[in-house]
Amino acid sequence: MSFLRLRDVSVEFPIYQAGSRSLKKVLLASSTRGNLGRDARDRVNVRALTEVSFEIGNGERFAVIGLNGAGKSTLLKVLAGVYEPTHGRFTSSGRVSSLLDIQVGLNVDATGRENIILRGMYMGIHPYEMRERAAEVAEFTELGEYLDMPVRTYSAGMMVRLAFAASTCIPPEILIMDEWLTAGDAQFLEKAQRRVEAFVRTSSILVLASHSLELIGQWCNRGILLHQGHALTIGPIPDVIAAYRHLLEVGAP
Amino acid sequence: MTSSETAVDLRVDEIAAPWQRPSRTRSAVLDLLEGLYQSWLWTTLAHQDLKLRYRGSILGPFWQTITTAVMIGAMGFIYAKLFHTPLQNYLPLLAAGLVFWQFTSGMVTDGCGTFYSVQGIIQQVRLPFSLHAYRLVYRNLLILMHNFFIVPIVLFIFPQSIVWPRLLELGPGLALILLNGIWVSILLGMVSARFRDVPPIVASIVQVVFFITPIFWPANGLGAHRWLAEVNPIYAGIDVLRAPLLGQPTEPYSWLILTTVTVIGCAATFAFFARFRTRIAFWV
Repeated sequence: MSFLRLRDVSVEFPIYQAGSRSLKKVLLASSTRGNLGRDARDRVNVRALTEVSFEIGNGERFAVIGLNGAGKSTLLKVLAGVYEPTHGRFTSSGRVSSLLDIQVGLNVDATGRENIILRGMYMGIHPYEMRERAAEVAEFTELGEYLDMPVRTYSAGMMVRLAFAASTCIPPEILIMDEWLTAGDAQFLEKAQRRVEAFVRTSSILVLASHSLELIGQWCNRGILLHQGHALTIGPIPDVIAAYRHLLEVGAP
Repeated sequence: MTSSETAVDLRVDEIAAPWQRPSRTRSAVLDLLEGLYQSWLWTTLAHQDLKLRYRGSILGPFWQTITTAVMIGAMGFIYAKLFHTPLQNYLPLLAAGLVFWQFTSGMVTDGCGTFYSVQGIIQQVRLPFSLHAYRLVYRNLLILMHNFFIVPIVLFIFPQSIVWPRLLELGPGLALILLNGIWVSILLGMVSARFRDVPPIVASIVQVVFFITPIFWPANGLGAHRWLAEVNPIYAGIDVLRAPLLGQPTEPYSWLILTTVTVIGCAATFAFFARFRTRIAFWV
């Protein structure tokens, strides 16, 4: 039984490099206005998430949508266990595989094949075990001879193939993906979707952040709409998409 | 499911807001232990670090060994004359001194990047933070093992009156240095992730320390001011490893100073680590 459960989760963190006035101005002028506060020592504090509560259970494909700076990435990082909530409570069960950024976790000087092993190791899979699965991963990526070249030489789309294939070689119980997945081409996306659907059938959880309403409509059945760190809507995907369209047209309620 | 995967599950379950968390101390202890437990991961990563660093070069990590050997050779002849010391006595002192200095100072300078240099991993995967420190210390131990080749060669050419049973002191000496490496890399790694001015400051301090510590010059040269060397903890660390190898008596306070520094350093770093551990992900 895997689940992700958030209760009144807030994440607030100081931005230390915001010492320069110009950056403050940039931040204040952006759409995240209202999330910035000053603490006693005059540091700029970003409240990236405010009292978000929801629960994701077995077999759910959960979408995270919102404008830039709405808190999507922060929410994914909380779900992946990278950020600890500063308020509220987060509990989860299940082996998490997170694909938050394609570049990170890939060592650009190592070859594709070495990166497959490396990615597996970070997920807690021993190199011996990973070597057995490497052939299947290599086949899924369709990268052929490129697998023996340094990842430095790869295009963004090729990196997506490599990272996705390696991270999903063992069906994850919880798969968390940020929007970079859309860097893959249509044929790869179709292949990736089939793979994810296979996991979700065996009662896994998918959490996906994306700007592509089309992609989200295809992949997900439930979702959350974030705006300035607040949860505007949580529910079935058509409702969330409708709320997002409304937000784009009318602005925040 | 492998055992390490279950460990991950346990940890994720424990994420909660500060007042609901079991305790910061307990989480910090768990972090340190889980890091140790995943030794297969940090040892493999450290080996890979070296492999990638020297990819495409024929000599690989032995480049470092050759660089050190050339430095010892070149410095040895000049400074032996300068200090009016016979080469027979000076070269072994210099060789062992430089090899152990590179090991300790390597951990300090590397230690600034313990967390910053792996920000990509920290931002993506939940791993014990201590794991990155173990990886760093182990990587430097591997480099030491390559460099150390020089010492027996020099000792073969210029034999010293080694008291063989005293070589057993190398075990506890190395263990203490490694413990210091762990706290230094955690503490400096955290402070450097938060304040980006720290790495250049540390780099300058390390350079100064190299010249004021009896590494390439004999402590006896200080004469009446010998205590200046005896109280230097870096010297203490090098002394406990070097003296037995050269068959010389260890300085009277070296063990005491090294142990004190280890205990205080570990305790202070643990307190700091327990307090700010969860901030590391935001800092990097």
